[in-house]
Amino acid sequence: MTSETNQEFNFYEDELIDEKIAAQQTAIEKEIANEQKLVGDLIELNTLLNEYLAEDTVYRSKITELSERFRYMRKTRGDGNCFFRAFAFRYFETLMGKPDEINKLKDLVNKFTSDLSQLGYNSFTVDDFKDVFIEELEKLNNTSDIRLLEEIFNNSGSSDYIVVFLRLIVSCYLQNNSDFYLAFLETYQSMKDFCSHEVEPMYRESDHIHIIALTNALEIPVGIIYLDRADQEKATPHNFPDDSNPNIFILYRPGHYDIIYRN
Amino acid sequence: MSTSNDQLQQSTTTTSSSSQDSPSSPPQQTTTTEISKPIRQNIAKKQTNTTLSTSGKRIQKELAEITLDPPPNCSAGPKGDNLYEWFSTIFGPAGSVYESGIFYLDIHFSHDYPFKPPKVTFKTRIYHCNVNSQGAICLDILKDNWSPALTISKVLLSICSLMTDPNPNDPLVGSIATQYLTNREEHDRIAKEWTKRFAQ
Repeated sequence: MTSETNQEFNFYEDELIDEKIAAQQTAIEKEIANEQKLVGDLIELNTLLNEYLAEDTVYRSKITELSERFRYMRKTRGDGNCFFRAFAFRYFETLMGKPDEINKLKDLVNKFTSDLSQLGYNSFTVDDFKDVFIEELEKLNNTSDIRLLEEIFNNSGSSDYIVVFLRLIVSCYLQNNSDFYLAFLETYQSMKDFCSHEVEPMYRESDHIHIIALTNALEIPVGIIYLDRADQEKATPHNFPDDSNPNIFILYRPGHYDIIYRN
Repeated sequence: MSTSNDQLQQSTTTTSSSSQDSPSSPPQQTTTTEISKPIRQNIAKKQTNTTLSTSGKRIQKELAEITLDPPPNCSAGPKGDNLYEWFSTIFGPAGSVYESGIFYLDIHFSHDYPFKPPKVTFKTRIYHCNVNSQGAICLDILKDNWSPALTISKVLLSICSLMTDPNPNDPLVGSIATQYLTNREEHDRIAKEWTKRFAQ
């Protein structure tokens, strides 16, 4: 009994540590939330120069070069959802006032919803996210008022629901195409395992595999511009899929994705 | 449950004019009574209306689902007027060392629900390598592997299967896990004894 009591004491301490970690995590999240809107206002891309020191020539020259082709950008909150949110905002923006394309997306959304239920997902939770996704999408049928879109994406209720649904689409797509994608996974035995660890949980960061899956699932190409310290003159572009000609561009800086607009 | 439903039904009718719930919502959705109305408004003031409505709406849906179709050996629902504080009862799974025990659990939903997992703790002491003396449960879906597509119903099911099959490879109480692996007989004896002592 004594050894057991000792164990319990230790584990109680562990739990206190857990709580401290959780509290610190919440504080960090709050700070980030105060500093950056979920999807920021349209700003000039060359304002990024302010984030780098004068002697940081690699970044500065790449930004200057990039801003000639991509004049505007929107920053997104660095909460681990930034890729999904950046993609969704920009994708929805391209759909504004285009009911035909919106209907096409709705069909696709319904297909994924039934695929998810075949995979054994609880239909009422999936439907919950789908309903909000479609509801917000339909608001864009007859408008090109960007303020409406900014409102949708800065309201955490609708914005996070859209992110969740995109995560579910990626999970569904990966599980239904696991024969192909499993080869890319190093540490996971099954696609289901990967999806429940790395795709479905909110705030989990996106990697190449998420981007490839999302663009393939929705059949919407995306161009990612990699801005890093690599010793090159220009930021490196990479289209998903390789041979596509995307309208949606996202700026990647190590650990974070923002929306950028091609001139 | 039927009596409280009747009460809720009544309160729905009395407050329906001021209630923001849609008219088609089931009676459980309105947890307002005369007393709780100011509290509700208070919560609404503190929270941005969106987080309250999305988390609240979702929890109401789950409440309707779990009331209609509870997982085997489980029940769960709000403790009182606060939709975010639930308690749950789990009957020890048949064939397990917890059989014939009744275990009470607290469930706390945050306003970030369903983006963050619910917090579930055992209120009844249980001899289990994945549950510590504070009632904290070591279960992946309650931490890193929580998905917004899961429900409290799924969580309770997972806790039930954890009771049937403990996971000594990821223990919260190392000594119990070691004992489970090396001296199963003694482990089972103590677990049964605790079930008798604390859960009956």
